[in-house]
Amino acid sequence: MTNAEEPALPNPNNHTKQSTNGDAEPHHQHDIEDEVEDEEDDEYDEDDDVVQQPNRGTPQSAASKLREQRFKVETLSRRLSSELVPIRVHDVVINGNTKIKDWVIEAELRDIENATSMQELVQASQIAISRLQDLEIFDSCKIRLEAGPRELPNTANVIVDLVETGDKVSGEFSVYTKPSTSSWTAEGALKYKNFLGYGDLWDASLAYGANQMTEASVGVHAPRVKGFLTPIMVRIFMHSQDWQEASSYKDRLLGASLGLISTEHHDLAYALGWRTLADPSQMSSRSIRRQLGHGLVSSLKYTFKIDRRNSPIRPRKGYAFLSSTHVGGLTRDPRSLRFLRQEFDFRFAVPFGFYNTALNLGISAGAVFPWGHGFKTKPSPLPERFYLGGDFSPVCTLGGPRTLWGFKTRGLGPTEPRRQNRDGSDDDDVDSSGWDFIGGDLAVTAFADFSFDLPIRWLREHGIHGHVFAGSGNAVKLTQNEYRNFSSRKFLESFRMSVGCGFVIPTRLFRLEGNYFYILRKGEHDRGKTGFRFSFSASS
Amino acid sequence: MATEENESTQRNTLVVRKSCFGLPTGCPQCLSAYIFLKFSQVQFSLDYHPNYPDSDQIPYFETGDYVTYNNEKEGIIECLKRDVGDLDTGVSSLPDWIATKVLLTTWLADALEYELWVGCSGSSAYNIYYSDLPWPIGKVLCWKKAFWVTQKHGISKDNAEVKEEEIYGRANSAYDALSILLGEQKYLFENRPSSLDAIFLAHALVVLKALPESSILRANFLERTILVRYVQQCTAEIIEASAIPSNYPDFHAEPSSSASKGRSTPGSKPKTKPKRKPQTKEEKTFRRRAKYFVVAQVVAVILFLSVRSGLGDNADLELDDAGYDLDE
Repeated sequence: MTNAEEPALPNPNNHTKQSTNGDAEPHHQHDIEDEVEDEEDDEYDEDDDVVQQPNRGTPQSAASKLREQRFKVETLSRRLSSELVPIRVHDVVINGNTKIKDWVIEAELRDIENATSMQELVQASQIAISRLQDLEIFDSCKIRLEAGPRELPNTANVIVDLVETGDKVSGEFSVYTKPSTSSWTAEGALKYKNFLGYGDLWDASLAYGANQMTEASVGVHAPRVKGFLTPIMVRIFMHSQDWQEASSYKDRLLGASLGLISTEHHDLAYALGWRTLADPSQMSSRSIRRQLGHGLVSSLKYTFKIDRRNSPIRPRKGYAFLSSTHVGGLTRDPRSLRFLRQEFDFRFAVPFGFYNTALNLGISAGAVFPWGHGFKTKPSPLPERFYLGGDFSPVCTLGGPRTLWGFKTRGLGPTEPRRQNRDGSDDDDVDSSGWDFIGGDLAVTAFADFSFDLPIRWLREHGIHGHVFAGSGNAVKLTQNEYRNFSSRKFLESFRMSVGCGFVIPTRLFRLEGNYFYILRKGEHDRGKTGFRFSFSASS
Repeated sequence: MATEENESTQRNTLVVRKSCFGLPTGCPQCLSAYIFLKFSQVQFSLDYHPNYPDSDQIPYFETGDYVTYNNEKEGIIECLKRDVGDLDTGVSSLPDWIATKVLLTTWLADALEYELWVGCSGSSAYNIYYSDLPWPIGKVLCWKKAFWVTQKHGISKDNAEVKEEEIYGRANSAYDALSILLGEQKYLFENRPSSLDAIFLAHALVVLKALPESSILRANFLERTILVRYVQQCTAEIIEASAIPSNYPDFHAEPSSSASKGRSTPGSKPKTKPKRKPQTKEEKTFRRRAKYFVVAQVVAVILFLSVRSGLGDNADLELDDAGYDLDE
């Protein structure tokens, strides 16, 4: 490019994040057009004659200078919109990084170095800014483009101006749905940024959810580790959950997890832990009683996920698919918990084009089996089985067969009678149902949800809408030779069904629902009740 | 996970810790419950719960949906007396009953606990309780339990020897008292089995089979021939009376099996007996004394003959050292 009359290029945008971060990160959002008009920040010289410096030649009036630069910007814009403007990046200069290593930043700028046109360079700059901001360790990220050396035409220098965050410690609070617990979870976390200078993010978090689920964990997220293509996440956690009411046991897991691959669609993680199942009430049924004790968990979980729905809270268009494969017992010790678990989940949203109505459909299936010597007679591990139930909406959650409207959490599926006392004195201390939900080895759920705007304008403006829904699901035991008694007809005939209607109040973090459920079909010992209830749901 | 056998046909199930050292279960508490049920001649099946060794609920007895846990009321034995039949009718009011029960449940129980976890460095205890858990978990729990035992007995580096003497001294006193009580009887009280026989027999079998040969408690027990005879007789009767199927782990009739032979797997027969039985301490003493006696007799005869012939012939008598080894 020669004799370009264009003014300097704008700085790429800093995008604002949608979160409830407690720290103050100044984000500057600019349009490209605004930046083009912000002439004082722009420097882009192809030719000495292009921009007249205040201390050179004949001083120009402010107005004529303004006109000249506007002309340059308009010319540049015309060229950029009509043709590819070839350019080559000569040098990349990083300013402002005091603690973080250069190679961590350079790894995010590789696309810039390979740009061959101005358009590509601008786009790569925007992507680089976004990636650098995702590291959460900079208060400000700006990229300037300057002319390259005079003897090398058609070149540009990229100047990266960074301001590392002064507040290394930040806090965060979030609410989400955890598929493994089939319930909402509230989590608070403290984060410490860039401790080692690798863009590492350390956090200590405390989570609390339904069924007295508590989890304390400490983790580190390293975005750039040499030799690895994706960020590495390591977490040490202690997790406990009380399933006394539904299944007469408490679950405690102490362990560590290593996130090996974490991209938009793929997630691979390894977990090693010490699991203990206990029953302080001493009322558990036979099969649960026999599984109480200690176990070594060494498992690898791979999740493939695509979510093309237009909204996680109220999807009206698109589809989503999830496949999760979980293999346990990855040690030489045959006494560790050996199992193979597979889940599928498919969602589809069909818009109808009026009053924001949409039909959401979904079907989920999952199976779990033990493996190893004598697997035909062994039971599957209790915590890995499928437990259906829970009033929160399956529309938001994506994670295998879990919920069924109208039924309590772990409120349907295979059951076993609890222990009976000869004097009957202990029966009053626990739920009087007298049955434990022991989970199924095979589970299938399906739902249909028709959502629509309400006629009141104020409600529409705040996203409050109504919905009518129907759900169905079933779970059966297949292990310990029970698969010989399995029949598809019996399985289909024993599907539970429920219908209902209600309203939904979506917020930024979760959706609050008030629904009336009507149980069409349920099992003998299922915990499902017709009636009106409130529930919280969050996207998973 | 616990293994199962004939669950559809057996309604009574005693769930115990794992089988090892040739015993149906290596845990003294579980073994006492097993023996009690055998004495009571109750039909039951045996099941194992190997992955929860630190639980105080085990052993537990299932009858359909009814379960009797060890940590309820006064323990598994008292609950079994209520549920399946009281073996102690008529004997629990005897004068020595309470004292014997205290001896068994305090001095002897403490001594065995000490020997398993401290005296023998915990190797036997690890095999009995934690060897079926994955290695890191078993090791941590084993260390935790050993630490708890030392804390319970108040053992520290300064008083370890004193405590050890005290514990072994009490055990010896208990063994002596039980030997006197037993006498020539087959059982402790009125020549019929009782719950205290079940408790003591379980203690004795674990001492004899699970502890290594270097164990002091084991050596002390073996010195009491009355107690050894008692164990042999009771064990033989239980084996004979129960007609145990071939796939059940069962007792060895001889109490002298070494603890260092390793554990047996659940549901399998014990390994074959060794061809040559190691000698007990008493047998060695007897042999030594017999040799001394024989040598003394021979020397006396020779001396008599030599003196008699010397008075007559003054002949030299060469005593041929036939290589008697007097050092045994």
